[in-house]
Formats: sequence, structure tokens, C-alpha cells
Amino acid sequence: MNALAAVRVAARPEVERRERALVRDAQRGSVEALEQLFRLHWPRAYRAAFVVVGDAAAAEDIAQESFLAAVRALDRFDRRRPFGPWLHRIVVNRAIDWARARTLRREVGVESVVEPAAPGRVEGERTDELAAALAALNVEQRAVVVLRYLLGYTPGEIAELLELPRGTVNSRLRRGLDRLQETLE
Amino acid sequence: MNVKRLLERVPADSAAQERAWAVVREAYRAREPARARRPVRLRVAFAVAGVALACAAAALSPPGRAVVNAVRRSIGIEGATPTAFRLPAPGRVLVSGAGGTWVASEDGSLRRLGSWPAAAWSPHGLFVVAADAGGLTTVEPGSGIVHWSLARRNVRLPRWGGTRTDTRVAYLSGGSLRVVAGDGTGDRLLARRVASAAPAWQSERHVLAYATAARAVVVRNVDTGAILAEHRARGRVRALAWSADRKVLAVATTRDVELFQAALPERMSIRFSGVRALAFSPDGSLALLTTHALLVYSSEGVQTLLRVQGRLAGLAWSPDGRWLMSSLPRADQWVFVGRGRVLAVSHVARRLGGADPTLDGWVPGA
Repeated sequence: MNALAAVRVAARPEVERRERALVRDAQRGSVEALEQLFRLHWPRAYRAAFVVVGDAAAAEDIAQESFLAAVRALDRFDRRRPFGPWLHRIVVNRAIDWARARTLRREVGVESVVEPAAPGRVEGERTDELAAALAALNVEQRAVVVLRYLLGYTPGEIAELLELPRGTVNSRLRRGLDRLQETLE
Repeated sequence: MNVKRLLERVPADSAAQERAWAVVREAYRAREPARARRPVRLRVAFAVAGVALACAAAALSPPGRAVVNAVRRSIGIEGATPTAFRLPAPGRVLVSGAGGTWVASEDGSLRRLGSWPAAAWSPHGLFVVAADAGGLTTVEPGSGIVHWSLARRNVRLPRWGGTRTDTRVAYLSGGSLRVVAGDGTGDRLLARRVASAAPAWQSERHVLAYATAARAVVVRNVDTGAILAEHRARGRVRALAWSADRKVLAVATTRDVELFQAALPERMSIRFSGVRALAFSPDGSLALLTTHALLVYSSEGVQTLLRVQGRLAGLAWSPDGRWLMSSLPRADQWVFVGRGRVLAVSHVARRLGGADPTLDGWVPGA
């Protein structure tokens, strides 16, 4: 059994059944089913990408490309597996890659990188603070914070999604939370 | 501190959701799944698009008749399906307009770079320069990373030229022509009172052709400021283009198309009015675009490739020089002409989130 197949979803059985039905119908060619799946998952996919990369345009691209990857692999998707974790893994890994690539480019091409990407829009004073606090975390810490607190995975599930030792996930979570707390409180 | 609650308050940009859904939906429709039948409405949609194009092309000249036949053959048969959003040749197409700046890849995937209404490729397609009323911005097309921005008022018609290692960006700001180095430094005024026509770079040189409001066409080295040539155009200048070998400058005016040999004072005039855009292919063929026709100029004269009833807008050669691309804004279509065929891509505005996007160039793949 694929490691990801073992990832448990914290959703109710009825929601899972409905989602499986949507995946089945989408595999059979139903645009309506695909649209429901898309609208069900877009907000969290976008938010997750946004929190990891801190850039609205990049988050849009990452979420969009993750859905495109899902569409391309749809016919091969095993309906017994939950759709959400599969998509979230794509989103978070792409977001991590994007953020790392940006960092690398800055290091190797400082002379040509004058301005970073435009900051994303986060409404409200408290969320502005959160955005600033998240920006102080490194990308790996942001990714586990997103998976834990936005997408609701347990540390064990995060370890499987990111193919990391569980201890590493726990330490990143702990350090990330400590840092967030320092900044926000 | 409730991190979960705070994270859930991050807004999930609904406009982004709609843009993404349009792209995902088209990718889904264009995939090749193990489906027994394509949904009826897609076939109907294509048939309608094909019929419309065939009707529009009814007045083709003799060289174009093969094109009409090709269109007829393709209706609902061989499949010019609404896969539609694939480019017929390798490369990436840059478009911009009310829906922002987008890069379309050969496989039909779309990437939105930002909300700029005007953009252009760097000479080798590595970067994009985008412009709006507030200034100039350079972006990496693959990652969307912004490299630098320059605040200037009313920036239009940016064009990026130069060599792979030392580039320049020319752009119009108000009624003036300015030039800045490819790394965003050294921005300066090059000329005042220029015409509202995009300047044209000689390939692999820092030599720029532009038109003044007084109908002069000026060829100038932007580094030294030296004027290399100056010609008086016969009409108001609408478009300029250099051949890839840098030998010929083509100028479309309201009265005709003029060809200037870079090394000689002589000019050659093509008695053909109404040309709004022109572009040289890599091998030197000159494509001309009028309101209702797409033409190619060669030593044998001007040949019509496509004539339509609607208004054509924009012109770009594929990097391999085998296809010409234009658009029919009122039909909301992109049109590709080449290899004896006409292909149409429908619902462009819906995909790109805004009506009447401008074609900003077709470059080789990344």
C-alpha cells in the first residue's frame, strides 16, 4: 500500500463518500464534478500556498498548477485514496520548491534581483501581524505549520506527506510555533 | 494565540479562483482520457467555431484557397478539437490585456504573470518586461519572480533588445522614448515627441528604430546616442520591424509599407495601405496585417493568406517560422495560419480573464 494511502483524513465519512463520488464522476468526464472538487479544495490549497510563499501571485500559480497536475493524473488516481491529502502534498511541495528557488536565486544573483515579488494581500491587522510573523519562519517551518494548523493533519500524517522523520516534523512545529508566539504576543 | 483561526482568515482570492478554474476546466476538457465519447457540446462548439471561420474566410485569394479547403476538411472531422488551447508549433506565446499578462505554452497550459496590460519578451525569451500606467516591471516567466521595477508615468509599448548578456529595454512614457539597461539601471530619456508606435530593436545590437511625431524614422545607437540613419516616412508610422539579419527595416505607415536597407539610403515602397502590424519571420518573410487580412510579402509580391469579415488584431510568427498567429477579438478567437491550414482557438477572453488581449510575441520554449 502506498504510504500516502495510509494517511487518514479527518473528514466525516459522508464527506469522504461524496468526494469519492466526485472523483469517480470527474474521471468519467463530468465537468460539473470536477468543478465541485475544485471549489471544495481551492480555498485551502490557495491559502496553504500563500502562507508558505507569502506572495499572492505565486500562490495563485502554485494552486493552479497543482490542480492542473491533479487533472493530468486524474485517470490514474486511485479512488480509494482521499483526494485532499494527494492534492495538498502537491501544493505544499510545489510551494516549498518555489520558495527555495527564490532564495537560491537571490543568493546567486543578488545584482540582478533588486526587488522581491510583491507582498500578498492579507486583510486585517491581526492577519497582517500573522503574515509578518510567518515571514520570519523558514519555508520548512511554514510548511509544517500550514499542514498542521490550516489543513489539519497530525504530525504523523505530515511526516508521511513530506516524507520526513516524525521527529523532524515535531521539532519544526515546535520551533515554528515558538517563533510565531514570540512575534505575535 | 489561535494559529488555526488566524490562518483561516487569510483570504482565498475569489478572482484568482475564477481564473484558475477557467484554466483547469480547459485543461480537463483538453486532456485525452479513456473516455468513450467526447461530450456532444464540445463537438458542437468546435463545429460552430469551424463554420464561423470557414465563412469568414470566404473571400480568400488564390493562394489562400488551399486554406479554405483545409478549414473545410477540419470541421468536425480531423479533429481540430477544442483542445484548442495547444499551440500548433513549439514555443511560448505572451499575451496581455485587461485580463493581465499571460504566458501560453505549447501544451496549452497558461500561466498568469500579473495584471499588467502590456508586455514583451526579452530577446531570448528568458524574461518578460511588463508595463502599466505606473511603470515598468521585469519578471521571470517561469517563476513569476519580479526582478526589478521602475516607477514611470503612463508607460506603454516596452520592447527588450540586445545580446544575451547585455540588454536594453526601450519604452514610451507619455510622449517620450526612454531606455533602461536590462538590470534596471541607467534609465534615461532618448527622444521626446515620438509617435505612438512600438520601437524596434536590431537583433543582438543596441540599435533602435523609432518614429517621431514629425513622421521621421530614426535609427540610433542607444549607448552612444549616434543617429545612424533618418528617413522621412510618407505617412503616419504605425509599426516598425527589423529583419533577423538586421539588413532591412520595414515601416508600416498609413499610406504604404516602406522597406529601408540599413546600409543604403534607398528605400523600397510596397504600395499597400492599411497595414497595422508587420513582422519578419526568422528566414526573412515579411508578414503584414490589415484590419481584415493576413498577408505575406515576397519577391513575387503580396499574397493573401487569410481574409476575414471581422477585425484581425496582433501578429506573431512561431519561432520555427511556419505559423502565423493573429486574433479575431470579436469572435474571441486566436487564429493560426500555416502549412496550408487555419486553426482557431475559441473562448480566449474567458480563458485569459479579459477581452481582446494583445499578442506580445512567440518565443522558443523555456
